[in-house]
Amino acid sequence: MDRQQIGVKLTIDALKLSFQIDGFMDRLIMQKAVYLAQAAGVNLGYYYHWYLHGPYSPSLTRDEFAVAMDISAGMDESKGWKLDDKSSQRLEEMRGLFAGAEADRDELAKKLELLASVHFLIDRKQASKADASRITATLRLFDKPFSEKDVMNALGELTRYDLLPA
Amino acid sequence: MTFSRRDGSEKVVVDSIHGDIHLREREVRVIDTASFQRLRKLKQLAMAQMVYPTATVTRFAHSIGALGTMIRILDAAERNGVKFEQEQEENLRLAALLHDVGHYPYSHLMEKLDKVVLTEEAVESPTRPVTAIDAGKSKYPEHEEVGALIVTNQDDLIKALGGKGRAKTVADIFTRSQVDPQLSKLIHSGFDIDRCDYLLRDSYATGVPYGQIDINYLLNNLKVSQDKVVGFKDKALAALEHFLLARFFMHRVVYYHKTTFGLEEACRQLLKRLRDRDGENYEVPSDREEVEKIVKSERLNTFTDAFVDNVVQKATTDEDAIIRALASSIQNRRPPVLLKEVPVCEETESRYHAGKMFTQNCVTRLNGLAEESKIPLKQFLLCEPKVDVLKRQQGETYGQMAKLSQEDIRKRAIEEEGEDIKVFKGDEDEPTSLMDIDYSLVVKYAKYSLQLFRLYVVYEGEDKDDVIVRLRDRVKDWDKA
Repeated sequence: MDRQQIGVKLTIDALKLSFQIDGFMDRLIMQKAVYLAQAAGVNLGYYYHWYLHGPYSPSLTRDEFAVAMDISAGMDESKGWKLDDKSSQRLEEMRGLFAGAEADRDELAKKLELLASVHFLIDRKQASKADASRITATLRLFDKPFSEKDVMNALGELTRYDLLPA
Repeated sequence: MTFSRRDGSEKVVVDSIHGDIHLREREVRVIDTASFQRLRKLKQLAMAQMVYPTATVTRFAHSIGALGTMIRILDAAERNGVKFEQEQEENLRLAALLHDVGHYPYSHLMEKLDKVVLTEEAVESPTRPVTAIDAGKSKYPEHEEVGALIVTNQDDLIKALGGKGRAKTVADIFTRSQVDPQLSKLIHSGFDIDRCDYLLRDSYATGVPYGQIDINYLLNNLKVSQDKVVGFKDKALAALEHFLLARFFMHRVVYYHKTTFGLEEACRQLLKRLRDRDGENYEVPSDREEVEKIVKSERLNTFTDAFVDNVVQKATTDEDAIIRALASSIQNRRPPVLLKEVPVCEETESRYHAGKMFTQNCVTRLNGLAEESKIPLKQFLLCEPKVDVLKRQQGETYGQMAKLSQEDIRKRAIEEEGEDIKVFKGDEDEPTSLMDIDYSLVVKYAKYSLQLFRLYVVYEGEDKDDVIVRLRDRVKDWDKA
């Protein structure tokens, strides 16, 4: 594992998520969780593009598989490493975003896809925070079933967790 | 060979790979900016020229070639009755031209410094503390992001592109921030203009033939659906499979050549050590903010391979012996010596263990070997370059999915984000995934990846030959339990 891969493993552990990549939804959860962690100031160094399911980092996919292969070979090289205190604290603070939904992986994936997509559109200046209807319309272009109310709720949650300015 | 039509073009570039490429006025203006001309000072193949003397091709030439490839894709789309609006077409051409404008000196070598694990951090030692990953510190941005910063901040490019709005649109295309579903389908389709050009160009430059893909046949058999999905006619399947495998062989022979990779690894460790130490760092940017300052300012024009060359030269007289050893190895072309390589090209975990066993033995035994041989631990370089037999457009790999069943790969994994290499069977108007063509050789090999577990040493004593023989003998069985 390289430094960046170790950082991902420690971040997923700190969010109390399982390092699962077997199914598409598992990988989607991982992608969006790392995206939101970075938005919270945990700098893991992944650059996200816009794909059909919102923000997506190909480099992260590559690293997820590398880490999973190492773990399955019984070699978790993240042992002996830790995250810096500030990042650990930030991840602790945002764990509420994932709370309760872990049991239903599909539901969690859907929620994280919405949160990350809304954040991306605002952060990359494709949309304004004040314009929930435009964000909803953009998501509909990609056949996403999110309503304007869902988008408003996502905006509220992102603001509450300090991922967007109030 | 005429590569693109004369359609109001201002100038023609004669390219050694593609022949004549007709440029439009705005493209000429972009090429003539100082920000774009910087690409002439970035070698496409980083340190490969230390092994292949003619491998000095530049990012500049590759960028023009990428534009040429994009022109032919757009021509193919038009032949298939798919017409883009004029502005959209111009933006796609400009995005192809500018897709690599954000590359660092020595490209990925410098870009990926944040991934480097130093030898002393990897090996076990009774005194080694738990090491912190400083996620609070910003990381170097990826080159595409740097490209977007350059395109939207450098005045010469903004002016050449016709304003900030246009600059942002073009940057959004090559950073894939574009949220237009039609363009997304075109750009995210498995056909890769970047790879198409670099395989041919790198092959030509090095003299290594494995990258000689059948570009004309591929491009002549491109087909675009009404939904703007790019694919290939099924008669081009063999050319397509060759295209996909060419990358694997170029990695094996050129990009991961033991000498080239050893020199590049020495350079990575050198830059990382300089960047992260207290004191003199020869202006290696400390973090993301420093990189941003450089690329948004006039200093961009000095952020070229010569920037790293100067760092290396200065570091040869550094007060730290390890820094001096690494720098001298590069400066004087005394490459790190490969003590042992464990190549693994299997899907089963038992074989995977052979490489991992070697790594594990390095972790537990390297300290002892360093003490015994009186060579500082930091002069041993441990690395694991890896290449998947197949790799998709932006880096997701098939081989990484080795732990999934074949059925899973077909049904879910490959369709990760709706992009894949597509094939039009017979006269069908809608393409199918390459992964659904069960007689395809490359599909059968999709699970495989080649990983090279390597241990190098940087050593230049008078007894070098004897020392290397002894070290090789000591590590020869480290891939066994």
